[in-house]
Amino acid sequence: MQPLAELKPVVDEAIAPERPIIQVSGLDHVYPSRDGPVHALSDIALTVGEGRFVVIVGPSGCGKSSLLMMLAGLRHQTAGTILCSGRPITDPDPDRVGVVFQEANLFPWLTAIDNVAFPLALRGVSRAERAARANAMLELVGLGDAGGRYPHELSGGMKQRVSIARGLVQDPPVLLMDEPFAALDEQTRMAMGEELLRIWSATRKTVVFVTHSLTEAVYLADEVLVMSARPGRIVDRMEVELPRPRTYEMMAGAVFGRLRDRIWQQIKAPAR
Amino acid sequence: MRSSLPVLLGRALLIAAFLGAWEALPRLGVADPELLPPFSTVLGTLWGLLARPALRADLAITTVQLLVAVAVALPVGTLLGLLLSENPRLGAIFDPLVFFLFSIPKSIFLPMFILTMGIGFWQKVAFGVFSTVFIVLMSATAAVRAVRPDHVFVARAFGATRAQIAWRVYLPSMLPILLEGFRLAVIFGFTAVLLAEMYASRTGMGHQIASWGENFMMDRLFAGVLLLAIVAIVLNEAIRAVEVRCSHWRS
Repeated sequence: MQPLAELKPVVDEAIAPERPIIQVSGLDHVYPSRDGPVHALSDIALTVGEGRFVVIVGPSGCGKSSLLMMLAGLRHQTAGTILCSGRPITDPDPDRVGVVFQEANLFPWLTAIDNVAFPLALRGVSRAERAARANAMLELVGLGDAGGRYPHELSGGMKQRVSIARGLVQDPPVLLMDEPFAALDEQTRMAMGEELLRIWSATRKTVVFVTHSLTEAVYLADEVLVMSARPGRIVDRMEVELPRPRTYEMMAGAVFGRLRDRIWQQIKAPAR
Repeated sequence: MRSSLPVLLGRALLIAAFLGAWEALPRLGVADPELLPPFSTVLGTLWGLLARPALRADLAITTVQLLVAVAVALPVGTLLGLLLSENPRLGAIFDPLVFFLFSIPKSIFLPMFILTMGIGFWQKVAFGVFSTVFIVLMSATAAVRAVRPDHVFVARAFGATRAQIAWRVYLPSMLPILLEGFRLAVIFGFTAVLLAEMYASRTGMGHQIASWGENFMMDRLFAGVLLLAIVAIVLNEAIRAVEVRCSHWRS
């Protein structure tokens, strides 16, 4: 037994070579409302390894979106710390995290390419470099020839692709996604999931993805974090040991069903 | 919004009918030519007037007064509107005052402007500003409501500063409504400047029109009206062209 135990750290390194990029500890959030203070998040602790695809799933109103907004520095927690690349997140820092929102939220007065280049324009990047980088991102999301179109000329799925391109354009190591496909129809949603995995494997970003869809969670994730109803806390954490690339057929498999069921058991119980 | 051929044709016919009636009625004796000179006579008079440097100077001074008044009223009104709508409490305090000033006819204040500022260039400008600034303010307030909080949130997520949010989110969101207000402001500003000139002035188109009217020079009076109508239409269409360029995305 002794030699095995000594070997173990080496094995761990081989399985999980990634270093932690996001570290959250002791996170609590209470906000005031007309009916008194609301305890939204309670004692959240999580670690996200570099290059991992982590999905946070939970019932609506469990605070998963709030948690993501805190990771983005867009909202402030009551207590606890959030570290990203070793430094605390207190304000939005587009060099460290890119964000994709539930509604694509593109600026209707800008073309697709100018929307993608928007974060660069804020940084005073030169016009030529902006165009080149935004164009490369549009190519990446499969919209290389739609750069000149305005948002009202794009379909819902295309808008969300532009939004993903915008989230990636500053090349941040982390991409935060807040139910990005929730407003899409089922077919588009499936296609976008596949597309996202392709983009992810091409860029090797760390992704933290929030959803309330169990299928989406298992299909996309390396690791699923399950949150409970309010006050939101992390009640389960599971590795998705399905090979990549993921396929549609896997959804009918036993592993998929077992994981999906395990999440369901966790989130349905408190809802009763 | 491009007009179709039948619409354009119809418009041309309407204008032709209007000018034709203007020409025919006095010539046929239906209207008194002393009161309504035929269109061709008015056109001839206008041509003759435009050849006179004095009249061109009058036209220039009226236009400059209007442009200066608008150039002051637009930024001041926009900034005040922004200030009042971004500070809800301040907005609530000033709301009744602004609404009253917006509602009352500005012409009743004209004597006070004359008493305090005389009848020169800056009195016309000041009265022009006073007559338009509240229109701009009201439209700026409405325009701020068109700014979507989601868009501000996105800009913040990508690290936009307050100034960048103002310039890159507020301004483009507000522009279509703001330009509509600007167009109204120019129209009302034109009225205000002309009125001030007609009331008491030594220069300007308003002054000329008033004196032609008093001296029963109907052909010149109509020529002046025609000229001012052309100026108003040109200004209006110029702003509308900018408006169309800036709001194509709202369709």
